[in-house]
Amino acid sequence: MTTTAVHPYVASLLAGSGAVPKSPAAWLDARRAAALERANALAVPTTRDEEWRFTDLTPLTRLQFQPVAAAANVSAADIAAYAVAEAAVRLVFVDGIHVPALSQAGSLPTGVTVELLADALKKHGALIEPHLAQLVKNDNDLFAALNTAFLQHGVFIHAAKNAVLKAPIHLLFVATRKGAASYPRCLVLADAGSELAVIEDYVALGEEACLTNAVTEIAVAPDASVRHIKLQRENSQAFHIGSCAVTLAKDARYLSHAVTFGARLSRNNLSVTQAGEGAHAQIDGIALIGGRQLADTHTLMDHTRPNGTCEQSHKTIVGGAAHAVFNGKVFVREGAQLTNSSQQSRNLLLSDKARVDTKPQLEIFADDVKCAHGATVGQLDADHLFYLKSRGLPEAQARNLLTYAFGAEIIDRIPVPSLVAQLEKYVMARTEAGA
Amino acid sequence: MSSVLDTLVSQPYKHGFVTDIESETAPKGLNEDIIRMISAKKNEPDWLLDFRLQAYRHWLTMAEPQWPNVSYPKIDFQAISYYAAPKPKLKKSMDEVDPELLRTFEKLGVPMHERAALAGVAVDVIFDSVSVTTTYKEKLAEVGIIFCSISEAVHNHPELVKKYMGSVVPAGDNYYAALNSAVFTDGSFCFIPKGVKCPMELSTYFRINTQDSGQFERTLIVAEEGAQVSYLEGCTAPKFDTNQLHAAVVELVALDDADIKYSTVQNWYAGDENGKGGIYNFVTKRGLCKGRNSKISWTQVETGSAITWKYPSCVLLGENSIGEFYSVALTNHKQQADTGTKMIHLGKNTRSTIISKGISAGHSNNSYRGLVKIGAKAEGARNFSQCDSMLIGSKCGANTFPYIQVQNPTAKVEHEATTSKIGEDQLFYFQSRGIPTEEAVSMIINGFCKDVFQQLPMEFAVEATKLLGLKLEGSVG
Repeated sequence: MTTTAVHPYVASLLAGSGAVPKSPAAWLDARRAAALERANALAVPTTRDEEWRFTDLTPLTRLQFQPVAAAANVSAADIAAYAVAEAAVRLVFVDGIHVPALSQAGSLPTGVTVELLADALKKHGALIEPHLAQLVKNDNDLFAALNTAFLQHGVFIHAAKNAVLKAPIHLLFVATRKGAASYPRCLVLADAGSELAVIEDYVALGEEACLTNAVTEIAVAPDASVRHIKLQRENSQAFHIGSCAVTLAKDARYLSHAVTFGARLSRNNLSVTQAGEGAHAQIDGIALIGGRQLADTHTLMDHTRPNGTCEQSHKTIVGGAAHAVFNGKVFVREGAQLTNSSQQSRNLLLSDKARVDTKPQLEIFADDVKCAHGATVGQLDADHLFYLKSRGLPEAQARNLLTYAFGAEIIDRIPVPSLVAQLEKYVMARTEAGA
Repeated sequence: MSSVLDTLVSQPYKHGFVTDIESETAPKGLNEDIIRMISAKKNEPDWLLDFRLQAYRHWLTMAEPQWPNVSYPKIDFQAISYYAAPKPKLKKSMDEVDPELLRTFEKLGVPMHERAALAGVAVDVIFDSVSVTTTYKEKLAEVGIIFCSISEAVHNHPELVKKYMGSVVPAGDNYYAALNSAVFTDGSFCFIPKGVKCPMELSTYFRINTQDSGQFERTLIVAEEGAQVSYLEGCTAPKFDTNQLHAAVVELVALDDADIKYSTVQNWYAGDENGKGGIYNFVTKRGLCKGRNSKISWTQVETGSAITWKYPSCVLLGENSIGEFYSVALTNHKQQADTGTKMIHLGKNTRSTIISKGISAGHSNNSYRGLVKIGAKAEGARNFSQCDSMLIGSKCGANTFPYIQVQNPTAKVEHEATTSKIGEDQLFYFQSRGIPTEEAVSMIINGFCKDVFQQLPMEFAVEATKLLGLKLEGSVG
């Protein structure tokens, strides 16, 4: 802990990191210290970095963000709109800090644990140590390093062998204060044969600029299944940078739904490694943005073992002067024979100033594989529009309906009806307002 | 079966021999004096020397690009000789050409005069860096076409060269283009005046002969309003152990309603099976569709070179202009290829098509890297891209890096990519019909590449099919 940040903006972000209390586990303190060292050495990425080529972080660096000491006053009514009726449990964090009064502890089946990370570290240290701050790599990722350096508030979710929880676990992260930085961390462990569903939900009250830098780590054991729904519906001034790393053992399943509606600038990194044979991943993504928003999604699907499958579908609807970025990497390592991996990037441009940069990327080192990717960019199909108009729909309504349908295809696959209703209502309202 | 494949994959390079002609070579190294020497040797006007020096000074400020997906030992630019000319200077007719040189062509299977006469092809032969002979020039001159070496063009048509050279690939465009602009020694110049359709296919043969002499050609093709031309480029090089750098620049300019078709078959020495030796092929090729309804089409069959690093591109500036890119890239042993195209749509209703087929075998690495960019003003632009990869063996790699950047909502861009191998089922089907494995593989691969081969002029299509067969026969196991 002797070095200081090379980059002045990184130094300003790290200013509060000294206030992070010592953890109950020495190994965690060591990992935090190593991450701090790493963050000190890294600079804020620029568009000259291939990984950030289309996403300019200058607007972020013009503002100052610090973690807050206490959560702001938020009433249950303030967040009522975000309730998910089906949820088994709800944990609410305001500006990165857990608020017990807003959370709802439900009844969980035996074998399923949902706890604050700080509490879990005391009880389940041995279970956590092999995974926490191990799955997400800090080496070249400033934001992951920052999150680990600030690692304090977060959630630990564990399903013991064969434990099944069908109802989703709802984690609601509410940003409220100007200049507040929050560094939430989630660790999800699904033991052999278990099943879990987690909703990570990021919202913002008001219109203040805040920074959310979230990291989630998920380890899925053989035959286990994790469904991961990530919603980002922050305000139009917010900055959101999230990284998620998933590792799949033999025959494990990971189903991801990422929904991006909010933030002035958002970046979503998802990295899935199939470390065992026959694993399956389904990766869905939808971004609906307008105004001057920028939504950047980077995914990495790493097939390292034979017989793995992956289906990926990422859609963007871009209006106003918004800018959508997608980069989807698929690696098929030597030895990952009989992999079947597909990826689609579909982009709908609604206005003259909207912009899309998409880069589906395949790197294949095994010969007996089936891999395909496709990318399209365009506007609404004239024939489809004509069909609807010939049925008597006015132009505007026909357009909205088609735009809505484009997005709904992804949203409808989320098996949580009340959430689907919420999201579809939002998409409808937004398309009617002209995105 | 795999042993059959192995023997086929490891076919020795058939064109590997060194022609013993004394060359006049500049001392190794690069500095302003060498550039002045090249310019003086070629008796160049001042503006060209300035162009070279400016490019050189810019080059000094640039860094070697690191982003391609290839790896090679650092090139020592001071260990290269930048000028080599065959000693027997320019000849008027074929009879005067050094018999040694003629024998070289013989060995390559290019009986030039016969071939030229039979196929009606004008061959501007480049041997190392100086044009040795130009045939059919008179016939072309009748219709007003200028087809000569770029050095001749500098002397005889300075206004055209001055106007167009560097207009598509500026001197400081990239590291290797800047280097080329500073030291280029020869290349071809072709000018098709307004309304003229070139009566024959134009072709050049490039060979790198002197050991350690990098070759830096510069090709410039200009098609005026309504003109049409098809240009062929074919390459073979003798076998050497030290790596040879090849950094060419090709510029195409198409004015209103003009149509340029540029085809390449590249079969330079790729190094031995351990990756020793071979050519570094770092080329900048770019076409500018300047006029309305103009069209530029690139077709390439890349089978040679230790490293291929090239992106024949189209800048679609004129309204309704069309860009096309058809490519087959084959890598074997330790070859590396990072190739693809850029389609820059700037004008309204511009269209582009990209068909890329990559085949990797052995320990090779084959990457497609492409950019489709739709500018804010490119209303109604349309792109279709398809890049398919085939892997032969489990030690090779196939990568695709397509960049798609769209800034106009009326644009329609589609990109598709697939990866596959030659299936056991397919081979079994052929065998059950009495076709031996080797032949079956060759047929499957030719089927895989058909979309591209169809674009090649006849004689090249034949050559390309043979070439793939030769390079890959039986490499499936």
